[in-house]
Amino acid sequence: MSEFEKLKIITKYEFLKHLRRKRLYAVMGIVVVVVLSILIGLPAFGVSYPDEVTAMAGMLSVSATFASIGAVFFAGDAIAGEFERKTGYILFATPVRRTTLVIGKYLACYVAVVLIVLLGYGIVCVSLLGIYGQIPIEVGTSFVLCLLFAGSVLSLTFFFSSISKGAMGATVMTLAFIMLISGTLDGVLMMADQPSWFLLSRAGDAIIMVYPGFKAMMTAGMGMGMPAGALEYDIGLCAAAMAAYLVACFFLSIFFTRRREML
Amino acid sequence: MREAIVIENLTKNYGGFLALDNLSLKIKENEDIALLGPNGAGKTTAIKILCGLLRPSSGTAYIEGINVVEKRELALSKVGAIVETPEFYPYLTPEEILSYLGRLRGMRGHRLKSRIKEVIKLVRLDGWAKVKIEKFSRGMKQRLAVVQALLHDPPILILDEPALGLDPRGMMEVRKIFKEARKEKTIFYASHLLTEVEQVCDKVAIIDHGRLRVYDSVASLKRKYGSLERAYLELTEAAI
Repeated sequence: MSEFEKLKIITKYEFLKHLRRKRLYAVMGIVVVVVLSILIGLPAFGVSYPDEVTAMAGMLSVSATFASIGAVFFAGDAIAGEFERKTGYILFATPVRRTTLVIGKYLACYVAVVLIVLLGYGIVCVSLLGIYGQIPIEVGTSFVLCLLFAGSVLSLTFFFSSISKGAMGATVMTLAFIMLISGTLDGVLMMADQPSWFLLSRAGDAIIMVYPGFKAMMTAGMGMGMPAGALEYDIGLCAAAMAAYLVACFFLSIFFTRRREML
Repeated sequence: MREAIVIENLTKNYGGFLALDNLSLKIKENEDIALLGPNGAGKTTAIKILCGLLRPSSGTAYIEGINVVEKRELALSKVGAIVETPEFYPYLTPEEILSYLGRLRGMRGHRLKSRIKEVIKLVRLDGWAKVKIEKFSRGMKQRLAVVQALLHDPPILILDEPALGLDPRGMMEVRKIFKEARKEKTIFYASHLLTEVEQVCDKVAIIDHGRLRVYDSVASLKRKYGSLERAYLELTEAAI
């Protein structure tokens, strides 16, 4: 049997695992709650929706960004869990290359995350159609960037999962890397008016900064001596940064998983 | 007769702790060999290397002439294994997990379905085939571990304490399964249960501190030492 045949089998059964776990539906539920809190919260507090459709699209797309962060919760135990919970004694003793196992697990996680992102953007599109009667073209760009961001977050989580003893450690390390380390460094570089497109958190912001109305709204609300370039995003560079994280972390995760021993 | 398993000068060093020290063993086709030794003797390490879960520090191992270290996947296609106390994905059912593992080993369609039914019945899990494994007891998981090792009808079985966690009836049933399997399979069997070893295996390899102390038939050891238990006690040290 070819490795490609094995890859299809691994992807199918690993995806079945995601369908059986509650976390897929929990993250989907959170995405719905976030969108609804914006849609219901604004009028409830007497605030009208923005006049500019892309401003509203940006606000709602925040939920989709969150959806891609959901990748962390699927991938944290993808590799580390096999060692921690001893399921690897069965899986790693099958005649399958570890490279194939990692790729299959990655694809299964990615499909699960894409489902959540699709749900998020589906709600965004329906909401914009309902409120403004139109869907701006930028939603498509944002969607593609979101899929790329989800892939890079997934790769980063796989990398930490391949070197961590446990799934919890991998999840925490990934979130700390994106939100604390990358986020803090991004803030510092932004204040110093230095480029920070290479940071994953900054690159991820491009998902909502593609909306001109949202960017204008953020610029108008900015203060505290923020440099003018703070909200200038080179979408191409951000996409390249995300792709670089995706590829580098993915190959590193394969490298470390292949070397790792089932002690 | 061809050699099914060859272990050549296998050494495994865990950062200063020598788990295996130049271990060499040859097991012929259709032989049933028990690997005995106290806790920490290196039994599980040897089995993990044979199953491609660990890399040896030096030396190598062959399964049906295939180098496990260099051609891991090809070598493992000949093997059914139980290593330590394996766990299963709790949110899948035995049918699903066996379908997953069977398909990874090239089984499919009606052949796979009927084989799954057959082996599940063999360990009396037929009433639990569609129940999520999260509801299983330790003993039921061990029965499932036995099933997954037999699923693809491999010529070689590598078993690390296969009766662990089973009740007396379960132990008897598993012993019966392996006694039946020994007619046409090579069995490499690590255990602490000397009575079980006497019933299932022809020969015994006793190791201690990673070194081979003796490799002989059960009958010969009984003749030399009076009993297998006596041989075990005289050839191994009390200290871990």
